[in-house]
Amino acid sequence: MSYTLIISEVRRGVFEERNLDSLGLAHMLKKSVYMLLPDGQYPVNEKWSDVLIKTDMKEEMFSMPKNICLLLEKVIDRFEMPDEIILTHSSSGTECASYIAGYFKLPVITDVNGMDKDAKTFYKSYYSDKVYGEFSVTGQGPVVITVRSGAFRGYMEERPDSYKKETIEGVSPDSDRTFIEFVEEEKTEIDITKAEFLVSVGRGVGNKDELPAYDELTGILNATLSCSRPVVDKMWLPKARQVGQSGKTVRPKVYLAMGISGAFQHITGMKDSECIIAVNKDPEAPIFQYAHYGIVGDMNKVRDKLKELLKG
Amino acid sequence: MDIIVLTKRVPVTQEEELKVAPDGRSVDLSRVPFRMNDWDNYAVEEAVRLCEKQGGVITGVSIGDMESDEVLRRAIAMGAKDGCLIESQTVVHDPFTRALLLKGFIEKENIPFNMIFGGVQAEDDQFGVTCGILAAMLGLPFASMVIGIDDIQKDTVILRRELEGGIQERISIKTPCVLSIQSGINEPRYVSIMGIRKASKVERRYFKAEKYLDGGAGSLIDVTRWFYPPKKEGAVILQGELDDACKQLIGILKEKGVLQ
Repeated sequence: MSYTLIISEVRRGVFEERNLDSLGLAHMLKKSVYMLLPDGQYPVNEKWSDVLIKTDMKEEMFSMPKNICLLLEKVIDRFEMPDEIILTHSSSGTECASYIAGYFKLPVITDVNGMDKDAKTFYKSYYSDKVYGEFSVTGQGPVVITVRSGAFRGYMEERPDSYKKETIEGVSPDSDRTFIEFVEEEKTEIDITKAEFLVSVGRGVGNKDELPAYDELTGILNATLSCSRPVVDKMWLPKARQVGQSGKTVRPKVYLAMGISGAFQHITGMKDSECIIAVNKDPEAPIFQYAHYGIVGDMNKVRDKLKELLKG
Repeated sequence: MDIIVLTKRVPVTQEEELKVAPDGRSVDLSRVPFRMNDWDNYAVEEAVRLCEKQGGVITGVSIGDMESDEVLRRAIAMGAKDGCLIESQTVVHDPFTRALLLKGFIEKENIPFNMIFGGVQAEDDQFGVTCGILAAMLGLPFASMVIGIDDIQKDTVILRRELEGGIQERISIKTPCVLSIQSGINEPRYVSIMGIRKASKVERRYFKAEKYLDGGAGSLIDVTRWFYPPKKEGAVILQGELDDACKQLIGILKEKGVLQ
């Protein structure tokens, strides 16, 4: 027997869309697909897998590193070692992948965005997405992989109507780490997900003192100001303004990205905008690969020129 | 509360044009500036703040060639007591090997700790798994994406992890433990050139990486080739002087109906 194991991600009762990339990659490998799932009632298309392994562990505990290793031990006992172990490239997916690798002494590659079909060679981005590295697995597998959101969805296919259901029960969660509660973001008046026109500023803004002038620009344009992660990290704008994987996902009519290089976590949050316009002084910035229009230049100069043209 | 902080010296590539060698075997970083990995900067700061409140010592640890001494100096300037370099002439790409080196070093050299901190990921390889592998190898509980430490009790830490979409989870974790620290958790202090100079006088300790691999278990993965990401169609670049380009931009905004 030879199979690919998917460790699913279910968050607050939702089977995360990112799982489709794990499934896509598994389908690309053309092997039996086993999917490990937490306890609970949530919709999931059963035809995507050959074997669904439902556990009796609640999602909050299921997604913890040690617990997933304890569950994996049971899976291996019952079905033998998988050929690959696939997780989402997310907060909990990557956390669990690393712990699995250390616990079972397995090779691990994260944020995989390409693979050859014999599962020997993997691609991942390096150096701010400017270069890709090709990795081969030299150690004893199975290889643990986290997959980049959106990378493998195209390989998804439904399986014939013959999936099996298995259960794993009676694994007690580890007591060294326990879940307390989810913490929601503070409610604010601004909802960037509702804006039709976003002007988004990134690391390139350089200095907090430059920001009031962007407020003025958005005022003139009747647009809403948003930003990328580095601007929030520096506490120059509140979290509610952040676009990206750890912030908001937005789909405005126009997304004007200024000084945003286009880290993948940011792209995930804005790539479905109707029209993306990027301003960046680095012509090689990855954002230009996703934008419809671009200006290669200093964002602050573009800002001032726009203000001048629109006022006059 | 003694804390080991893992720090890495990384190239700053956001605004650099990178050249891959024609045979794909290497990436030319000779003209790229290097600095402490941004996430590690937050990790050091968080450790320093905790020790300022609770007492305890911080040991900065880095894997790399002698150039990596600069991130240890920075860590010391920020508040670490000690800096240790696990010296490796070759770049260790496999995070499993990095974790193995760190485990061997911490155990053999008896580095005291209640917690181990590292950044969520390194800017260069974006792997984000070294801390987790290390935690599992040491048999310690682990949490990544730590965006807030709310309370420290005798043998337990209450903290918040960042999830997706602006949601966090609050968890309780037993010490000793390994935490990977997310950017934005604090505002790292400014480090002056004077501060770095003063830190240079604090002795750092150097160790040879070979000592900690126990002869076996080299890398489980290898980089075989570097290449440029496949190009998509890409943006239509608005040409001309600033004035022209901006006028075209305004034209697009009007055409899309977001500007009158």
